[in-house]
Amino acid sequence: MKGKVDRRHLLKLLGAGGFLLASRPVLAQTSAQAEAALPSFTGPKANPYWNGVHPYAVYPQKLPLLRMTDRPVQLETPRHYFRTVFTPNEAFYVRYHLDEIPNEIDLSQWRLKLEGNFERPVELSLEDLIKKFKPVSIAAVNQCSGNSRSRFQPRVPGGQWGNGAMGNALWTGVRLKDLLDYAGVKPGTVQIQFEGLDRGKGPENLGSGRFIKSLDLDDPVIEETVLAYLMNGEPLPMLNGFPLRLVVPGKFATYWLKHLTWIRALTEEDKNFWMASAYRVPDTPNGSTTPEEWASGKVKTVPIGHFKMPVRSFIIDPDGSYPLVAGLPAKIRGIAFSGHGRVVKVEVSTDDGQTWKPAMLGADYGPYSFRTYEFTWRPERPGTYVLAVRATDEKGNVQPDTGVWNPGGYLWNKIERQEVVVLAAK
Amino acid sequence: MKKVVVIVSVLALLGFVLAEIPGVVAGQWTQGPLGLILQPAPAKPGEGAVYRVGAYPLYTSELADGEGKELVMGYCSICHSVTYITMQPPLANWKPTVDKMLKTYGGEKFIPPEAAEKILAYLQAHYTPETRKE
Repeated sequence: MKGKVDRRHLLKLLGAGGFLLASRPVLAQTSAQAEAALPSFTGPKANPYWNGVHPYAVYPQKLPLLRMTDRPVQLETPRHYFRTVFTPNEAFYVRYHLDEIPNEIDLSQWRLKLEGNFERPVELSLEDLIKKFKPVSIAAVNQCSGNSRSRFQPRVPGGQWGNGAMGNALWTGVRLKDLLDYAGVKPGTVQIQFEGLDRGKGPENLGSGRFIKSLDLDDPVIEETVLAYLMNGEPLPMLNGFPLRLVVPGKFATYWLKHLTWIRALTEEDKNFWMASAYRVPDTPNGSTTPEEWASGKVKTVPIGHFKMPVRSFIIDPDGSYPLVAGLPAKIRGIAFSGHGRVVKVEVSTDDGQTWKPAMLGADYGPYSFRTYEFTWRPERPGTYVLAVRATDEKGNVQPDTGVWNPGGYLWNKIERQEVVVLAAK
Repeated sequence: MKKVVVIVSVLALLGFVLAEIPGVVAGQWTQGPLGLILQPAPAKPGEGAVYRVGAYPLYTSELADGEGKELVMGYCSICHSVTYITMQPPLANWKPTVDKMLKTYGGEKFIPPEAAEKILAYLQAHYTPETRKE
């Protein structure tokens, strides 16, 4: 199957990655000083920080993360957790739309239900899913559609994420296709609908009551979609979707339903709020428009599922909070990914994007995974430098140096920059 | 507070005295302004077939004081905490957002029109680029 990595091979790679990780020096610096807090908000200009300006808070099964909102809960992953190719479960970001989310789930009563236009509608326990179906694993990036929304100019309302509404995990579970074959999709089915346990207090037909998403049956991603009961080899944290989460490689996280409980075969296109009204982007090549065009009311929109995640790359180190020293090597490193497939090239600039040099790529964990990169730079002259990073994927997509604009704050993938200070050593 | 200042000053003075190498500044301390995060105690995660994480904590932001604050706290909090307001960048015009909450998400089912007007006035009075303080 395209996009799948042989599990044994992957586990071997993971072992090697673990060894490399353990043997490399740890950079502990995450902020220059502890004398003052960040401002409590940014704007109307773009947020200049890598993460959003949210404070740290502790949630169940999580390390202190950046609390963007508390109910419904949205937590951003701090920058330094992206030093590893797989994002730790306890640091993985959280994004809910509704506030009635599970505090406990009794697995003796919980069932995955396949309903609608199936030959054999079925209910399956978690044990059924574990034992009756062959497990598969895939490394895939889960990124919120609105990741980096706080970069938009002019600013748009919505979750003011910095860059930390993303994470990469090794997901293990059941192929959606195996389940669909098990229940038998009847002719006339056009979409497969997914719903989890999340509920809200608003009217149920308006999106403030239920959260529902659908994929076209003929979308190639159906073949690659997995229902994961393991995340990085462990049961999913509750806030990341225990006991079962939809993994839709290459697509934005809005389709990756948490606490997945209903799968429905639809004979008509899903017109529910979350497909017809929300998560829509301008029907332009990069999903971009202008505030003026948008205000004219003439911009046609499509569900964000029509897009794969655009290619992106990030500078994790150095983060600007500590100076480099002239004459000493400095490791510029970070991660890159693309919803279109493998990252094949990452280039680094130390002169604000005027000239570029290729970085060394880390291990390949498959087309939908983060890929680490590293570039050793030896600045000879003291001063202030602007680093930049640019990724290219196997389809030839290259990151642009301009930002998109759309009213939802989606699809940001502009080249990232980081200012660093190089000290004189004499 | 005075005592802290005295201790810090003495420490700083000591550090100054101890710094024998030119260009080295040492011994500076200050009261930590970022606050502490308490460490969670080990929890009972469930039993039998029940997977449990307990109640989720709320860390709701304070809203600016002013007319309409109580309405915002009461009505907006039905579906979401008011952290959703303080999290936004300052918006020049809150009407599209308030309308989205009322109509697109069905808030008008709970919120009378007069209250909605006062909520909008409150947001304009405290959360625009010109008016936002904290």
